[in-house]
Amino acid sequence: MSPAVLAVIFIVLPPLLYVFYTSVYGPPLSLAAYGEVLTSKLFRQTLSTTLIIASLSSLLSLLLGFVVALHLARQPARRRAILMLLVLLPFWTSILVKCFAFTVILGREGIINNILSWIFDAKVQLPLVLNLVGLLVGMTSFLVPLVVLPVLASLVAIDEAIYRAASIMGAKPPRIFWTVTVPMSLPGVFAGLLSIFVMSLGAFVVPALLGGPQDQMLSNLVDFYNREVLDWQKASAISVVLFGMVLVFAAPLALWRRRKV
Amino acid sequence: MFNTNGIQRRYLGMNQQTRKEEALEEVQPNLQLQGGLRTFAFRPQRMRNEVNPMQDGTVLGARGAHAIALSGISKMFGSVTALHLTDLSVDKGEFLTLLGPSGSGKTTLLNLIAGAFGPTTGTILLGGRDTTATPPRERGIGMVFQNYALMPHMTVFENVAYPLRVRRESAKAIHDKVTEALERVGLRGFEDRRPRQLSGGQQQRVGIARCIVYSPAIILMDEPLGALDKNLREQMQGEVKRLHKDLGTTVIYVTHDQEEALNMSDRICLMSSGKIAQLGTPDELYFQPCNQFVAEFVGESNLISGEMNADGLMMIAGNRSISVPGAMRTEGLELLVMVRPEKVRICGMDEAVTDNSNQLTGDVVSSSFVGGMTRVTIKTDNGLNITAKMVSCRAESRHVSGARVRVCWSSSDTVVLNK
Repeated sequence: MSPAVLAVIFIVLPPLLYVFYTSVYGPPLSLAAYGEVLTSKLFRQTLSTTLIIASLSSLLSLLLGFVVALHLARQPARRRAILMLLVLLPFWTSILVKCFAFTVILGREGIINNILSWIFDAKVQLPLVLNLVGLLVGMTSFLVPLVVLPVLASLVAIDEAIYRAASIMGAKPPRIFWTVTVPMSLPGVFAGLLSIFVMSLGAFVVPALLGGPQDQMLSNLVDFYNREVLDWQKASAISVVLFGMVLVFAAPLALWRRRKV
Repeated sequence: MFNTNGIQRRYLGMNQQTRKEEALEEVQPNLQLQGGLRTFAFRPQRMRNEVNPMQDGTVLGARGAHAIALSGISKMFGSVTALHLTDLSVDKGEFLTLLGPSGSGKTTLLNLIAGAFGPTTGTILLGGRDTTATPPRERGIGMVFQNYALMPHMTVFENVAYPLRVRRESAKAIHDKVTEALERVGLRGFEDRRPRQLSGGQQQRVGIARCIVYSPAIILMDEPLGALDKNLREQMQGEVKRLHKDLGTTVIYVTHDQEEALNMSDRICLMSSGKIAQLGTPDELYFQPCNQFVAEFVGESNLISGEMNADGLMMIAGNRSISVPGAMRTEGLELLVMVRPEKVRICGMDEAVTDNSNQLTGDVVSSSFVGGMTRVTIKTDNGLNITAKMVSCRAESRHVSGARVRVCWSSSDTVVLNK
């Protein structure tokens, strides 16, 4: 057994197993917590919110990240390295700091509303935070670097001669984009999509700080049962369900990628 | 002048669209001479090609319009001159090789024709049309790349069909043309494979099929066989040559392999540090190299320098004299001459030597047996290193190092180089 396998067995697995154990052992040993969770309206609502927000923010991040990666791929190597820093700086910044920054920017008395108030010479207080808008802005800002990195890797790996060949054969830029750039970047796109969708399913800090009460996700529900209700068994049951969802979504993508590579 | 019958016969005999157009361009000036009526009949064609009458008169009127005419072109990258002022014209159907060491400007020249970038000065005419500022996709050229540049996510069929899909041809036309092109390169039955499931040679065949499938007037090949091993390379050379013969397309071929260039080309353009060193047939480059660079780059050579004496002989090292071909030269003129190793004969010390031969005595330094040929290096008594090359014989009758020998060569095999 390789060290990686050992690390998984002894470091990653025990807490997971303990969570699973907590979810089925009250005491006594029963699946009652799952039954209650799965039949509760709160859980179903949160589940649909989670899926919708994860999909929306993944899609938005993919679009934005693809454009950024495309631009970076077309830059000369040195310039690209400098611009990469602009992508990575927020990535390295604590998510908590970023969320507070967005509160300052998007809040009722925030930078955007202040500027708009000044322009229109009237009190403008667009609701940009503590709702879906704020949540999506925060999630996208958090996820874009995770798309840019794999997509950029795919784009840079495309042999420049292929573009030249296509253009000599008569293809115009839009056709080259759809027949060369897009299909050849798909491995990176899927890798990026896989990681951001999984990350956003488990998002906790961003919905807690930038989302409204309607936009709370499964992780926040876990937190709610943990700290407010103090029902650890239900909290664990929700965690296990969330974990199962991640597996369900991640497995096909991971398998597809393995087949392609 | 034009032979109208011949041209029309050529015109009628051709099926492919592009050939028709080419032939048409040749016919046009003639028809204009014959009368307005027929010229009028060809109008739509001309307008479609967007050739204005002035270009007709000046370019196509010239005898045998060139497929490629570069005049006064040069290319600078920043302060570095990649290509000095150059003129070059290529006839229709010609196989021209750009040969030279890396950094000699051959790829720059190819890229200028391909339109990868524009020239710093000069104009580029392709098929009589000024394409100096035309983007690559409108130049009507095809290109074969060293690294194949195939689309890895497409099947062989889709790769070859790509230029046809760009041209929005019908599904049936695409199927027929792709099948024919794959037939030509011997890849029928590989339609559904992906490029990475093919060997290097097969991938390059796909690259060639993708190029010939849309019948471009000019095909550019950028070291297409550079990534293949020696035997395959020789086989593919034959195939490319055969294709060129069958299709009659103008081919510009870039290589740094002189044997490849000698084997395949109608003409070779040998480049050196951004300039054309010599432009000529393979024979001319090999047997009449114009200077030392050409003599050394194409084939092997023995170079001997010296100066003329009063008797019309050339005095070389060690106060020896040799005879050189050509008219009398003035005394004291410095000369550089070249003899190909295969023209140098090695004789025993007591063997009779024919008249009119130059001869030097010396010791065999080394002898290397490389298959069909054996290369023998001799250090002559007057200090020259002479290489001789001969058809190999068995070890017992080969020259051993240290043996005293005479090297002889006929004065007519001596080439006088420009210094």
